[in-house]
Amino acid sequence: MIQIEQLSKTYQTKHGTVKGVDDVTLEVKTGEIFGIVGYSGAGKSSLIRCINLLERPTSGTVKVGGQDLTKLRGDGLRKARLKIGMIFQHFYLISQKTVAENISFALRAAGTPSKNIGPRVDELLEMVGLSDKRGVYPAQLSGGQKQRVGIARALANDPAVLLCDEATSALDPNTTLSILRLLKDINRKLNITIVLITHEMNVVKEICDRMAVMQSGRVIEEGRVYDIFADPKTALTKEFISSVVSFNVPEEILKKCDGTIVKVLFKGEVAGDGIISDMLQSYPVKGNFLHGAIEYIQELPLGIFVMELKGSQTDVSQAIHYLEQREAIVEVIDHGN
Amino acid sequence: MGIEWERIIELWPEIQVAFYQTLIMIGISLGVALVIGLPLGILLFVTDRGLFWENRPVNSVIGFVVNIVRSIPFIILLVALIPLTQLITGTTIGPVAASVSLSVAAIPFFARIVETALRDIDKGVIEAAIAVGATPWMIIKDVLLPEAKASLIQGITLTVISLIAYSAMAGVVGGGGIGDLAIRFGYYRYDNTIMIVTVVILIVLVQLIQQAGDFTAKKLDKR
Repeated sequence: MIQIEQLSKTYQTKHGTVKGVDDVTLEVKTGEIFGIVGYSGAGKSSLIRCINLLERPTSGTVKVGGQDLTKLRGDGLRKARLKIGMIFQHFYLISQKTVAENISFALRAAGTPSKNIGPRVDELLEMVGLSDKRGVYPAQLSGGQKQRVGIARALANDPAVLLCDEATSALDPNTTLSILRLLKDINRKLNITIVLITHEMNVVKEICDRMAVMQSGRVIEEGRVYDIFADPKTALTKEFISSVVSFNVPEEILKKCDGTIVKVLFKGEVAGDGIISDMLQSYPVKGNFLHGAIEYIQELPLGIFVMELKGSQTDVSQAIHYLEQREAIVEVIDHGN
Repeated sequence: MGIEWERIIELWPEIQVAFYQTLIMIGISLGVALVIGLPLGILLFVTDRGLFWENRPVNSVIGFVVNIVRSIPFIILLVALIPLTQLITGTTIGPVAASVSLSVAAIPFFARIVETALRDIDKGVIEAAIAVGATPWMIIKDVLLPEAKASLIQGITLTVISLIAYSAMAGVVGGGGIGDLAIRFGYYRYDNTIMIVTVVILIVLVQLIQQAGDFTAKKLDKR
């Protein structure tokens, strides 16, 4: 649905040129929810704004639905944008217009006949659960409600793509969750491709199918959210993951342990299996759980356990080998004494 | 410095005429400022850097002309525009004639006010409209003007009050008006009664306009 190829965006500042986006190539498939994670200044905001050409890339191409947007200007670009919805961190509703007027604004942009506008606005308001707020001004709405209006406006013209620029970053955790559920619902029901950028890893964990991690304008890691959670490659990704799934055992506890400390990871179906008990029965090794939980990422279980293995060096390494055979990912944290 | 009430009664018809003349001058010049200054101010804003009709040459030229007119002292503009006034109104005296110079002064004044009011709009709201696929005309009509409504009304108030002050100088070309009356009778002839009466009328007028402006701006603002 979206093909970004060798996209770069540089900015001229007083202190010279700054690379906002540096040679990014990404593909977002039809119907998926794609998350781009990074700290502020990583270039994710520039990147998403290049997708609908709110910012024109310095080089590279952006194709949406097969159409190269970088070749478009003026009215052609405007028409292409009708099919790319966008929502923002600060909602950006027209404060002097009612909820219904804000939505009909988008419909009029597409040249919708006026007799169809009213019913369509009602339909959209129902979809986002704001049917009773038709004639209300944005100032009277809560943050979550404003974002729902933003979503209704973005979806007004049946876009193929929805871009979310830190859409939940200004909202409290509960509201964030309800907006994320709404987005997922829309994605499933309307088969809209969603690209979202965020610095909150829980957003990605909650709704994204695939993700990319950005740092200094570059994509440093990309893949299925589940796979990245199970096996992050870069330090930054690990840092992001630890913000939602943390398995740090307190130093005090680690000091008291004299065995080998391992982190064992079970993916998908094997997560619930008694692999560990099988291992403990098969090898003369004592196991001691220090930490553990099963996380659900996109309904798929991911089991993560930190344990101390006591026994002879050979037995311990054989036990670890056994776990790996059973498709567990084992990371030795401390070799013990 | 006492007020002689007979003097007021005696000159009351003249005060009425002057008041009427002031209204004509303000009415005409405000109308022209709105009709020409508003689009000019919008143009100044949307042709600026980073906006949807970005156009450096157009922006610089309009900005330059606006600055020139705004730097000329009004009294000089008044005299310098006598030929233009003759051309447009067929006369150089009276409130209608004075309205020509007042309009010329009011257009750039109001245009800058419009530009400033538009600048205060959150850029994000304009961007959201662009992202939605709105036409430039829709953005002007449905985003820029509504969002700047309250400050535009404050700007109109400011323009009207400035025009009242300017119109006092219109007496130089026989424009008449309350301010002119104050200068002719009060200033040149030391007629304190007339001066005080006219100044009081001006104070009341300005107060009323300011209050009406504030009230309307507040009433219309949905934030």
